[in-house]
Amino acid sequence: MEVNGIPNVRTCIAPLLEGVAVRMQDRLASWPQNNTDNAFVSTVQDIDILIVGAGPAGMEAALQAATFGASVLLVDENQRVGGQLIKQTHKFFGSKEEKAGTRGISIAKDLEDQLCDDRFKDKIDVLLDATVFGFYEDDTEDRYTFGVISRKEYKSRLIKVVCRSVIFTVGAMENMLLFPGNDLPGVYGAGAVQTLMNVYGVKPGERVLMVGAGNVGLIVGYQLLQAGIKVDRVVEAAPTIGGYHVHAAKLRRCSVPIYTRHSIKEVFGADCVKGAVVVELDDHWNPIQGSEEIVTCDTVCLAVGLTPSTRLLEQIGVDMALVPEAGGYIALHDERMQTSVPRVYVAGDSSGIEEASTAMIEGKIAGAMAAKQLGYQQEKAQTAYEGFLKELKRLRAGPFGAKPRDAKQRIQRLWRKRP
Amino acid sequence: MKRKADVVIIGGGVNGVATAYALAKAGLDVVVLEKNYLSSGATGKCGAGIRQQWSTAENTELAIRSVQMFEHLSSDLGMDIEFRQGGYLIINHSEKELRQSEENVEMQKRLGLNVRLLDISEILSIVPVLDLKGIKAVGATFCPTDGHANPFLTTFAYANAARKHGATISTHTTVTGIKTKDQHVTSVKTSKGTIHTSWVVDAAGVYSKDIAKMVGIKTPNKPYRKEVLATERLQSMFEAMVISFTDGIYFSQQQEGQIVGGIPIPHEQIGLYKTPTFSFLRHMSQTLTRYVPLLRHVNMLRHWTGFYDVTPDARPILGEDRTVKGFIHCHGFSGHGFMLSPMVSKLLTEYIAYEKTSPILDRLNLDRFEGSNLTQEHSVVG
Repeated sequence: MEVNGIPNVRTCIAPLLEGVAVRMQDRLASWPQNNTDNAFVSTVQDIDILIVGAGPAGMEAALQAATFGASVLLVDENQRVGGQLIKQTHKFFGSKEEKAGTRGISIAKDLEDQLCDDRFKDKIDVLLDATVFGFYEDDTEDRYTFGVISRKEYKSRLIKVVCRSVIFTVGAMENMLLFPGNDLPGVYGAGAVQTLMNVYGVKPGERVLMVGAGNVGLIVGYQLLQAGIKVDRVVEAAPTIGGYHVHAAKLRRCSVPIYTRHSIKEVFGADCVKGAVVVELDDHWNPIQGSEEIVTCDTVCLAVGLTPSTRLLEQIGVDMALVPEAGGYIALHDERMQTSVPRVYVAGDSSGIEEASTAMIEGKIAGAMAAKQLGYQQEKAQTAYEGFLKELKRLRAGPFGAKPRDAKQRIQRLWRKRP
Repeated sequence: MKRKADVVIIGGGVNGVATAYALAKAGLDVVVLEKNYLSSGATGKCGAGIRQQWSTAENTELAIRSVQMFEHLSSDLGMDIEFRQGGYLIINHSEKELRQSEENVEMQKRLGLNVRLLDISEILSIVPVLDLKGIKAVGATFCPTDGHANPFLTTFAYANAARKHGATISTHTTVTGIKTKDQHVTSVKTSKGTIHTSWVVDAAGVYSKDIAKMVGIKTPNKPYRKEVLATERLQSMFEAMVISFTDGIYFSQQQEGQIVGGIPIPHEQIGLYKTPTFSFLRHMSQTLTRYVPLLRHVNMLRHWTGFYDVTPDARPILGEDRTVKGFIHCHGFSGHGFMLSPMVSKLLTEYIAYEKTSPILDRLNLDRFEGSNLTQEHSVVG
């Protein structure tokens, strides 16, 4: 879309301001009408730690690092902090220390309040509606340089950020499925459905086919019901439901059937979704001929897993490895969450797909350890770190922690085996 | 892995595979050795321009004859290489530059090039979005048959055609040594075995220096990191490549709509550096928006680095070494390897297959650096 003569504006995530002119683009953007000068290069120097992504891991990392005295720049591409938490209207599990019984949105609010607390006024800077897009060569040995684009009134400004340490808490990208019609309006990722419903208060459709019975699929399915939207069914390609029993039970109590060993074959409709064809799978995940069934729906919601976002880490050149249990290519890291490049840390989903509760603790670890490495309150940071490690172990101890536990153990093994 | 070949070519960039194609077509048994994958070096990172407007006659002639070959290369090789002739617009910023342009145009015309001087009023009819005042333009030259092609497709097209003529292309194969006997090449040692041959073509780009060293030849080439930037896509506005020798900038709008260009990196040091620099990003954005102010609100989508393999006179080193027989130099293109590749491969093939030499090969031999009188190529950008 074109806004105020500026082409290629992603209006779906841009704020709507009074008096703006929005125009549809015909495939390729027309040339900008507006050539008013952009004071477009500025520099942010002498930051101790750049934190990329203000989700649960990033906010906790910022709070910890600042607690020990490090100065932090927290950058996020959204209009507000919180990451996925601001969509999570359900209550968390676990023990009290891990905020069990609290809703994600309340955790986001709580962390946001802490970030704005007076005692961090000189320590934490939050830059929203901005994207860290590249790692650049620098002339000083103990500094890292990043290119950041900050958007304001649909205009972009280039900022050079120079920091001593960096923590990547960039989260993950939703997986997509390949099937005919997957580009029709009405086919959504579960994250988009949650954003529409829970952040913007917009109904994505009237009748939904949910694909995937992991926790995301089950929880979003239930939230759709809460919003007064009909969920026709949930299909899951695996032979068992991936998510927690309690989430599946909630859906079933509302008489939403969950079909395991079933997947989506295609979506039909001329210019929007009119329905979908689902199909049963055999032991080798192949569709069984003749088992096709038509589902009438106007919305298809894909909740088929996440892939860690690691592109910036790859560009920096940290050691990576394919760890399928963790969701794909992973930046190898030690228990302190440091990668193979000194002072480059990773935490949360971008270090392996898990949950908000563990992401927060990983964020705390990265924040404390990065501050310690830069020389801030070394003993106190170390004590805090040891406490966080114990918490993390406890959280991953249960049967539902098996998969991330295995993934993290494998990452540790690969870390130790590095040349 | 083959054990014997007529010619072993080191380097799977466009010049290596183009030469392999021409040699195989002439009936020779050819092996290409590439330590990474095809076009993984400078070829795949280049700005893709094809220009005939040079200050030295050798480059102009090589380029004119290369363009003649580019014009039917897609049909020759049986694959579309996206060759497009939108012309090159060279901006002049001073009286001194105008006089140099007049001299160049006269020489270029003598060699048969369709090129002309433009006065300031004609420039905007070719590239309407230029801010002539902002860039202090006083004139320009324009050659409508200059253009660009897709370097990946060109390399793959040459490679496929070479294979059809019987050439062997061995990627992920590293050359570890070259043996000579009585100052004549006898074999090439690789990570996958030894190949006996009496001809070696050194087309290894910035690594050509290391290859030459294996037979005791010292080359004066130096590697320079070069960066290229691409914007998001816009509706088609102009077809010409715009360049300036004063600012060192070059940019064009590709068929898909993005603006692609480069400029020298401020304070660049020599060496095999690969990380993009912020100083390039800043300098390129500031200069590009001075040329085309409308791009101020257009985002960059990609930014990558590659290399120029630069010689002291910015002209390539071509032809057989005067001391080590059978060792063919094919490097030092100083940023112009892609655009010269059709003619370079033709000349080297004529020399190897038919023992036919040419004045261009003679003048671009490595031995020119022993003398003190070098003819410098001045028309360099990026």
